[in-house]
Amino acid sequence: MSRTSTGPSRVEIKDLRKEFGTKVALNGVSLVVEPGTFTVLLGPSGSGKTTLLRCLAGIEQPTSGTIKIGDTVVFGGAKYVGPEKRNLSMVFQDYALWPHLTVRRNIAFPLLTSHFSKPERAARVDDMLERVGIAHLAERFPNELSGGEQQRVALARALSAEVGLVLFDEPLSNLDADRRDQLRIEIATLTRDAGVTAVYITHDQSEAFALADRVGVLRNGELVQYTRPEKIYRHPKSAFVARFTGISGEFEVGKVREISDKRVEVQLPFAPHMFIEATKSENSPYDTDPHLFVRAAGVTLAPLTSVDGAPGTIRDVAYNGRGYEHVVEVGEGATLTKVYATDRYERGDCVKVMFDPVSCFVMNSQKEA
Amino acid sequence: MTTLSVLTEQPPVLPEPPAARRRRVSWSSLIVWLVLALLIVIPVLAFVLVAVSPRLFHQGTSYFTFSNISAAFRGYTGRGILDSIWVATCVGVFAVTFATIIAWTVQRTNIYGRRFWSASMWLLLIVPTWMTTLGWIDVVQPGELGSALGFHSLFIYHMFFGASGIIFVLSTNALPFSYFVISVGLRGLGSEFEDAARVHGGGRWLTIRTVLPIIAPALLSAFVISFAEAMSDFGVAFTLGSSAHFPIATYTLFNAIYAFPANFPVAAVIAGVLILCTVPPVFLQARVMRGRSYAVLGGRAKAVRRYQFGPLGRVGVTSAVGIFMFFVLGLPLLGAITSSFTNTASFVTTSGIHWTLQSYKDVFQPLPSYTTLGPPLWTSNQLGIWVASGTLVMAYVLARRMASSSPGIGQRIADVFLLGSIAIPGIVLGVGYIFFYDQRFITSHIVDLYETMPLLIMGLIASSLPSQARLLTGPVAQIQSSLGEAARVHGATRWRAFRSTSIPLLSRALVWAWLLTFAKTISELAVAQILYQPGHEPASVVIETYLGTIFASIGSAATVITLVEMMGVIGLVLLIFRLVTPKGWRRIGEAGASL
Repeated sequence: MSRTSTGPSRVEIKDLRKEFGTKVALNGVSLVVEPGTFTVLLGPSGSGKTTLLRCLAGIEQPTSGTIKIGDTVVFGGAKYVGPEKRNLSMVFQDYALWPHLTVRRNIAFPLLTSHFSKPERAARVDDMLERVGIAHLAERFPNELSGGEQQRVALARALSAEVGLVLFDEPLSNLDADRRDQLRIEIATLTRDAGVTAVYITHDQSEAFALADRVGVLRNGELVQYTRPEKIYRHPKSAFVARFTGISGEFEVGKVREISDKRVEVQLPFAPHMFIEATKSENSPYDTDPHLFVRAAGVTLAPLTSVDGAPGTIRDVAYNGRGYEHVVEVGEGATLTKVYATDRYERGDCVKVMFDPVSCFVMNSQKEA
Repeated sequence: MTTLSVLTEQPPVLPEPPAARRRRVSWSSLIVWLVLALLIVIPVLAFVLVAVSPRLFHQGTSYFTFSNISAAFRGYTGRGILDSIWVATCVGVFAVTFATIIAWTVQRTNIYGRRFWSASMWLLLIVPTWMTTLGWIDVVQPGELGSALGFHSLFIYHMFFGASGIIFVLSTNALPFSYFVISVGLRGLGSEFEDAARVHGGGRWLTIRTVLPIIAPALLSAFVISFAEAMSDFGVAFTLGSSAHFPIATYTLFNAIYAFPANFPVAAVIAGVLILCTVPPVFLQARVMRGRSYAVLGGRAKAVRRYQFGPLGRVGVTSAVGIFMFFVLGLPLLGAITSSFTNTASFVTTSGIHWTLQSYKDVFQPLPSYTTLGPPLWTSNQLGIWVASGTLVMAYVLARRMASSSPGIGQRIADVFLLGSIAIPGIVLGVGYIFFYDQRFITSHIVDLYETMPLLIMGLIASSLPSQARLLTGPVAQIQSSLGEAARVHGATRWRAFRSTSIPLLSRALVWAWLLTFAKTISELAVAQILYQPGHEPASVVIETYLGTIFASIGSAATVITLVEMMGVIGLVLLIFRLVTPKGWRRIGEAGASL
């Protein structure tokens, strides 16, 4: 495979397995990344997302399975294509900028093996420098730049060559919150403008949802759900996915009463007099140890005088710029966090808590060891 | 044998198809081990084996005996062994103490001339022990420079020609090794540890006490290196030790070989003891340091904050370091230089000081039965180029293997082996070579290398390889794997990734490793003294023939010329490096390169 532009690449991974000695890092991972899409692989530390990305890059060699980039099988059977021939680029977690090269030469590096002439290469580098807003830093060395500037150089380097696939290895993890938000937007914009296929790994669910066309959630080396971010949020396939993609609270369920194909009513031990409507998970049963998982977006607060809702007490409140996030105790030892309201409720206030059935799911707990 | 050990981090490892990888690893391992076996393992083991089985090599009547061991621990040789152990321990303590103070002052304060002091340490590292020893003799002997400067005393003279003088000179020799290891530790130590101690109420002394243990591995490493250096030193033992009638193990070993009749079995026992004495601390160091790293060269740089002395304090601390460095380096060099400009029996005579260039003329127009310096110096330079280049290639290969992130059993054995090999004194290697490569089954049926230049080159490479491999392991391991991976991912082949990433990032370390080996080869005495090809003596051997005679001033002149020539080559190589390499290459490893 040459490093010449052939448009965005389709990536197909089939039954990928990677072992490090006795440790299984990836186990039967299969997924298809459509050309021109932005896919985020989400998972906690040790879930195998970095290994998967490195296998895709060709830095790590899988134990078995196949990887196809574009029309070329880059790994499978006895075949292994080196990273330099996979027509891809990558933004590394530690940026991996070569300290002996200036910003300009770092960005120009991937172009050295491309079909571009020297003037074209220079023009392309200038263009990238402009696009990421670091033209004034072109002759500096990496250690003369701030973290955010270094990240921009890494991004420019990855996008400078006309490759079909760009990989991102937790590129924002070393930045502070302000820079992270800003660069996240730039990554999304510049990557989509470049029209490449992007595979991005992170452990931050908000980052994943903000960037992705599709999100894959990994756990213990297995891809547990791979779909659109909205679907992951609204229909988590398992308790793990629900927890990892952010919940406000999780409660043991007393009784479950089916009311339709998609909905149930559940009785919570701390509010035995009322039933709360929730969504049945499409793929996860609730027959052995049912729990109610509540997304923060599915909880609203109302004054105590409100007719509907379960009673609760405000335990903490924090201003987040747009409104207030509350911690609400709804029963002994049962709390909801990140409950948003435009109005401020003070600590100790008694309120009513209302649940949106769309954002409440009933599934078996699947407690982790 | 020189030793400089820096620690390991994760190296770049790129995958290959399984079949190809298996094939390549086995072949490369085989070649590496074959080379190490021929260079180090077999000659040394064969020689040490004579201690218990002299008849195996036609050196006695017994196939197995302990009698040589008990003989070696008696009398003159026994005293030499004990002297070496306690002297080396003292040297380790002194070298680490002073190196820590100097390293902290240079690396972590705003002292003036940081680069100059680091360069001075390099100079101290390059100057061989026999040169500094002779320089000191030219200072403290009655009628020499000390007398001229008015601080001569018999007390100092007697102190110098004894254990104190030997410990002092060996400590100054070990100082740069300790300094560089501790400096790396201090540079990698972020200021956050100091800050944390300070903000939690720690005063200056408490802060130092809190932070210092963090670099304990570096301190231990420095001690081990200094100890090993002192144990294996031959230059001081051969010059000062013999003059002071203070037996040191390396010199007693030399005597055992060159006595008539030669006593190889007892020499082998001493060799075995020298190796065994240094191996435990070296392994202790390896154990303590396992998995630790002093610093990492990666895409992100961590700034080091320096303690800011006030104007007066800055001048004071700079002066203190200046005086110290003058004492350990400047004074002996001055002694050698002044001695070389006189050809009287002593520097100060009853009729005053007689400056003359006669000794420099005599160097090139020698007396009968003495050799002119020109050809030996040329031989030394040729040796230096061959040995430095050969060592560099092999050391890099070994360093890559040792820095592997997933070391196999072969790498682990190589690591342990090289650590152990650092402790093998040059004289043991030299004697091992003449002993093994002169065996009849080799000279008659394989190759006759005895008294040839290739054998000397092999011996010198074997002498410098373990320490240079360890020295390069640090810089190799400091390159984060992502830098090489980034090159591969962005289209570089394996060779281009190596050329565009590893070579530039390692260029400074490689150049310095080459220069260090070159300089050490020119000044090397132990292996050269034993293995030189008759008629092709290296400069160090020729200089030794003058020293200790009434023509010592000619030896001093030859020493000065050799040192100046060596410095000239080093300067030339550094100039070429500066002229031909891009600016970015030279920034790597430069003090203050990071913001």
